[in-house]
Amino acid sequence: MLAVQAGGKNLDVAGIRAVPSLRYLNFDLPFFFQKDGTPTGGFNRDGRANDLIEQARRPFLAAHEMANADAASVTDKLSRAEYADAFRQVFGVNVFADVETAFLAALFSVASFESSARELHPFTSKFDLFLRGRLVLSMPELRGLALFNRPDKGNCAGCHPSTRQSDGSPPVFTDYTYDALGVPRNPEIPANADPAYFDLGLCGPDRTDLADRRDLCGQFKVPTLRNVATRQVWFHNGYFRSLKDALHFYVERDTHPERWYPLDATGVPDKFDDLPEPLRRNVNTQEPPYDRGPGQAPRLNDSEIDDVIAFLNTLTDGYDAATGTADPARDVALP
Amino acid sequence: MRHIYFARAALALALGIALSPAARADETALKSEIDALRAEVAALQASVRQMQAGQTPAPVTAPPATAATPPSAAAPAVSTPAIAAAPPIANDDALTGTTLWGYGELNYNRPTGDAGATQADLRRAVIGFGHSFDESTRVYGEFEWEHAVASADDQGETEVEQLFVEHSLAANYGVRAGLMLIPLGLLNEHHEPANYYGVERNFVETAIIPTTWREGGVAMYGTTDSGFSWSAGVGTGPDLGKWDPASDEGRESPLGSIHQELQLAKAHDLSGFGALNWQGIPGLLVGGGVFAGKIGQDTPDFPADAAQLVLTEAHVRWQPGPFDLSALYTRGTISDTQALNLTYLGQPTPVPKAFWGGYAQGAWRAVEWGRSSLVPFVRYEEFNTGAEYAQQPPGLGTAALPTERVWTAGANYYLNPNVVFKVDYQHFNYDDEALGYGNRFDLGLGYQF
Repeated sequence: MLAVQAGGKNLDVAGIRAVPSLRYLNFDLPFFFQKDGTPTGGFNRDGRANDLIEQARRPFLAAHEMANADAASVTDKLSRAEYADAFRQVFGVNVFADVETAFLAALFSVASFESSARELHPFTSKFDLFLRGRLVLSMPELRGLALFNRPDKGNCAGCHPSTRQSDGSPPVFTDYTYDALGVPRNPEIPANADPAYFDLGLCGPDRTDLADRRDLCGQFKVPTLRNVATRQVWFHNGYFRSLKDALHFYVERDTHPERWYPLDATGVPDKFDDLPEPLRRNVNTQEPPYDRGPGQAPRLNDSEIDDVIAFLNTLTDGYDAATGTADPARDVALP
Repeated sequence: MRHIYFARAALALALGIALSPAARADETALKSEIDALRAEVAALQASVRQMQAGQTPAPVTAPPATAATPPSAAAPAVSTPAIAAAPPIANDDALTGTTLWGYGELNYNRPTGDAGATQADLRRAVIGFGHSFDESTRVYGEFEWEHAVASADDQGETEVEQLFVEHSLAANYGVRAGLMLIPLGLLNEHHEPANYYGVERNFVETAIIPTTWREGGVAMYGTTDSGFSWSAGVGTGPDLGKWDPASDEGRESPLGSIHQELQLAKAHDLSGFGALNWQGIPGLLVGGGVFAGKIGQDTPDFPADAAQLVLTEAHVRWQPGPFDLSALYTRGTISDTQALNLTYLGQPTPVPKAFWGGYAQGAWRAVEWGRSSLVPFVRYEEFNTGAEYAQQPPGLGTAALPTERVWTAGANYYLNPNVVFKVDYQHFNYDDEALGYGNRFDLGLGYQF
């Protein structure tokens, strides 16, 4: 499993970020700053697209994704596809007469699918059944939920809210804000071979409008945690290969930095090594579980991490109570 | 279990007062009541004279000093005079008339342990109206601005606190419908600043009884010759679905965080309420009330859909001579919260199973100069907004909150019975910055008309 996927015509152009999930993306909001200055919403890991249509445009054209030369190239292929007549039926017989019209229609189709397809936001996890009072979680799962929520323990709910929203709808496990976590630099990303290259999230390189907001450098969007246990790699640069490692990093980043960052010649860990030195102060070191230092106990111990993982596994869609298993690809009728 | 002792103490005080043969009304209050009645009689006489002369009678709009008056416009239950006895008449139609009334308060709070948190606030400015359509049907409204400025970028609020139509079915009972104040406690229906001691409203009647608490519904009210006044009704209730376990609001006031104020209120589950007061001995008021209802509001897939709220309250007030003594106890319970709280594990504010509060207060009209007076007072309160939580699996339960105990000592200086300057000091048993608990010095200005 690659940390970042390759694209291009020959699937040989490396990407720079781990692929984000498309599930539950329909609930995202256009990018904006809250009154207190907190960046919020937006699509892609840096929030540079404002809606699903804008978000769908990039993969068609990006060199490390589908690598079409331009919109005309896309619509030309589309006009020759076996479903081209169906496309004409929906958007008009002359839809391919104008490239921009046809391309927009294609983007609209993708966005419509993402918005309407229930399998992309099914709310069929074990936790959803629990929220509806249909079952009770196991003790490890309940303990994990408590540790996930507790402000003095995992404090995960600080960014990944776990309770029903004010309108009664189930939680999506993201508050759509951004955070700089100081995830270690991933040498598996080819772009990182250049020591001068840094992926700074909100302030670049893909996103350009906030390049001058140096205080935002290193911040990436808080993703949904629904189906998080089914991922192969975690965080924006895919550095972690297991959920357990990702959780250990959260709570031991500051208590045992030597486990996560390369050591310099004197044996001191190069903390937050995936950011240029002057920007490392942007990393969140104030809130639990990051508010600890070397010598202090992590906010979660090993068995507590196991409990949190047990809870995170309840967020996998397609839960089948008969077998106790979950599979997001399984289409489970809403109970 | 201290609250049980508190309840017993309040009950003992109530019984002691009820049995006291020496109960006397506060003279100033009586004087003002007499003034109001005198003005009413004068207005009636004028009407009769006009009728006899074949003219259009002037409306009689002075609010009678009974439970049939709009709660806020009623003669205050405390030792301050009733509102202007003969309000201006603004309508020439027979037996109709419109009155305007209002109140406001400006507060200053200086925490002694955190002077940087000192705050001055135009707490509220209120305009109300009453309009008589005819001799038996009236409408009352109360409109409030809180915190000076209300806009999308400010913290202020604009709200309708009451809006109801009242219809007298007979001389001593009637019916009202609309957005009404819930008749619980001493403060909720009489929340104007000249009606209570201290800069801030007491904690028990804000944290436990969420003054100013109003619901939409229909109620009957009435009085008896033996000194009882009563009211009973059905209406909207709180919506437990509004509970936010991540915020402090539910710890500050459980019901205050979920009442709906008739703002697109979920109204599937109606609540019932009732109150009974006795004023058979001048100067004495003994009473209580209950509010009960299902608060899940038939929300689909809501694990606490069956939750029931019961809030009970008992109070006594005795005003012998220059003294004004009162005590109140209230307790609320919310059932069937176990499954809901399980989904809130680890969150700071689960739904309590029980919450309660009580206070005892003594005030003394020490000095009077004409219409001015100085009334020092002292109040002791105990309350707990999370006294008990539904049982959870071992190791996952929530500990009950500590009981807060607050002493308040200060004075109300009435420039006249409707303009009051206030000063007090409040001492808290424990501090909680998020809830505003912490020793502080307060100044206030209030008026009503």
